[in-house]
Amino acid sequence: MALEKRVESPQKSGEIAQSLGMRQAILLLSRVWAWLFLLALILVFTITTKIYQQVDFLTVRNSQNILVEIVPVLLMGLGQTFVIIAGGIDLSVGWVMGMASVVSASVIVILLPTGIGEGLSILLGFGAGLVSAMIPGFVNGLIIAKLRIPSFIVTLGMSFIARGIAYLISGGNVVIGMPPGVRNFGNESMIYLLNGNIYFFQHPDATGIALRSLDRVFTYPVVVAALVVGVAVFVLRRTRFGRHTYAIGGNAEAASRAGIRVDRHMIILYTLSGLTVGLAGILHTARFNGGSPIAGDPLLLSSIAAVIIGGVSMFGGHGNIVGTVIGALIIALLTTGLVMLNVQPFWQYVVVGVVVILAVLIDQGRDLIIGRMKSE
Amino acid sequence: MSKKLMILACMLLVLLAIVPLSAAAQPQATPKIKIGFVAGIVDPFYQVMEVGINQAVADFGLSVVSQYPPAPWGPNSQTPILNAMIARGDLDYLIIAPTDKDQMVAPLQAAADAGIKVITVDTFLGDGDYVNGPVKFPLSYIGSDNVEGGRIAAEALAQTLGEKGKVYVQNTTVGTSTTEQRGQGFKEGIAEYPNMQLVGMDYNLDDANTSAAQTAAVLQRVPDLGGIFGVNVFSATGASNAVINAGLGGQVQVVAFDATQDAIEKLRQGAISMVIAQKPYDMGYMAVEFAMADAAGVTSLPRRVPTGYQVITAKNVDDPAVARFIYQLPE
Repeated sequence: MALEKRVESPQKSGEIAQSLGMRQAILLLSRVWAWLFLLALILVFTITTKIYQQVDFLTVRNSQNILVEIVPVLLMGLGQTFVIIAGGIDLSVGWVMGMASVVSASVIVILLPTGIGEGLSILLGFGAGLVSAMIPGFVNGLIIAKLRIPSFIVTLGMSFIARGIAYLISGGNVVIGMPPGVRNFGNESMIYLLNGNIYFFQHPDATGIALRSLDRVFTYPVVVAALVVGVAVFVLRRTRFGRHTYAIGGNAEAASRAGIRVDRHMIILYTLSGLTVGLAGILHTARFNGGSPIAGDPLLLSSIAAVIIGGVSMFGGHGNIVGTVIGALIIALLTTGLVMLNVQPFWQYVVVGVVVILAVLIDQGRDLIIGRMKSE
Repeated sequence: MSKKLMILACMLLVLLAIVPLSAAAQPQATPKIKIGFVAGIVDPFYQVMEVGINQAVADFGLSVVSQYPPAPWGPNSQTPILNAMIARGDLDYLIIAPTDKDQMVAPLQAAADAGIKVITVDTFLGDGDYVNGPVKFPLSYIGSDNVEGGRIAAEALAQTLGEKGKVYVQNTTVGTSTTEQRGQGFKEGIAEYPNMQLVGMDYNLDDANTSAAQTAAVLQRVPDLGGIFGVNVFSATGASNAVINAGLGGQVQVVAFDATQDAIEKLRQGAISMVIAQKPYDMGYMAVEFAMADAAGVTSLPRRVPTGYQVITAKNVDDPAVARFIYQLPE
């Protein structure tokens, strides 16, 4: 291919320059299309909900509802983004999340009567939830890195193990008996808006009808998720750890020869995936006031879809955190928007499916263009 | 090595010889039947049903083996367990909650062909009519009428709302007969009140997070919503979370189906205003009684027994006559 191009006659150079401009445009589009799609969705829902249902889509409350909704999918997707960029996949996240939810709730229930206090019980319970999710992550990484078994298989197996343990601990029930602090952490917020007044960290004295116009802005789970997103963006973009993640995904062999400790890196990646999933699990316990073994299972595929929509290549090597955030936002917007429109919510799956395939097509188109430009 | 094997083989032979002898030595006054129980899935409802079965088995001096299919709900999970039960070869009666009314017909027919009499609990085969319906081989169908359950939810909600206002349903998965029937019954129940309107029914696929998101969206579309029916506990959990966070706690009534500990805790906290309890203990106990009666030669057993419901509210939850219907597992 490269050879053919070089022997082309000089008069075609103008044509090439023109198509280069085209390609630049396509490249630009491939970077921003997810943003554009997100904006288009907001626009469409804003107009259609107003016309067909006479309600406003762009409200403080709606924005917060959507942010609250994306938290578990996003947290699952964050660890997954690192893992997929490094060329792997973590299929255990769904049931590990349920297990973390059950473990955190169970530990809280056990510790509460010991008299160590509500705060400490919750703290230790949440800590136990996080650790319980990091252990399967660590084991995943260990087996994948040291025994060279494909991540797909190892994490699938781990998914079953976590599922069994979640059921064994909970007996198939929701683990209940949470102290009020748990629910408050899962549902209260940093900022409250009430009739034009702003309250910080202080639930305003509102009862009855007044409660209806109380908006919770940045509930604690959203704040936690935002912090984790911030850290993840920083780590992936600005640290050596992040660069190594890309390098390993690009070519593990080359990365290893360049002196990157690939095994150690993989183990850390899967443990981190466990950590973010564990966070999703304890936040589920907090939000719904109990530990549920099935908390994460329905979210696994959504979280992978969010990562793909965000432009992370399933072959590893490129992608970013902000893309995953947009992917999760697109999925959540569809749920809320379609229900507000009173459309059958099953359309959500159809649209998400189309967007996932579109994302991969755009991704591959870009790879093709970049490949050509390099060869020219 | 081979000597050890020989000894082991001898011991096995002796054991095999003794076991039938000891069994034959027992008195044959009452029919000594052995029962198998296959639940629909691991959850508190079936666990309480098993408590009822175990109680009856203990009361009558019978024996039982119980098995729970893993998630997800469906014939793919349940059939292997059912087949293993049939393969045991020592069961006389099978108490089962079929996970699909059509797809489980053939596997259960195989059980019947193997000489095991089938009693369905909670769910049914065919159309549930074992006298005139397409499926006739099961002995009886003992369980709640889920359409009736949905209707009871509608009536209870209508009474609380003064027989007027807008209501909404959070359903689980399309195609699951029990939850679809609850939704259907609720729809029919609400239709009988001219001043009430059903504004929609959404499916959350058993995910509390989705249920909360959908309910939050509906609360914006319909600001004057009066009540929500959650067809199972996860649906109601998500709905009540959205209601409370919209500042509508106590104003939008949430009705939950199934009296799990989780649902009752939320009832006491005021997040849920009503719980429709089924009677799984009754189903289990009665199924064993039916097996006993059939083995003793009783021929006029009813082929369909609806077990009814108990509506639990914050007011009556501590009344022992009501509290006994909470799905409580012995410690």
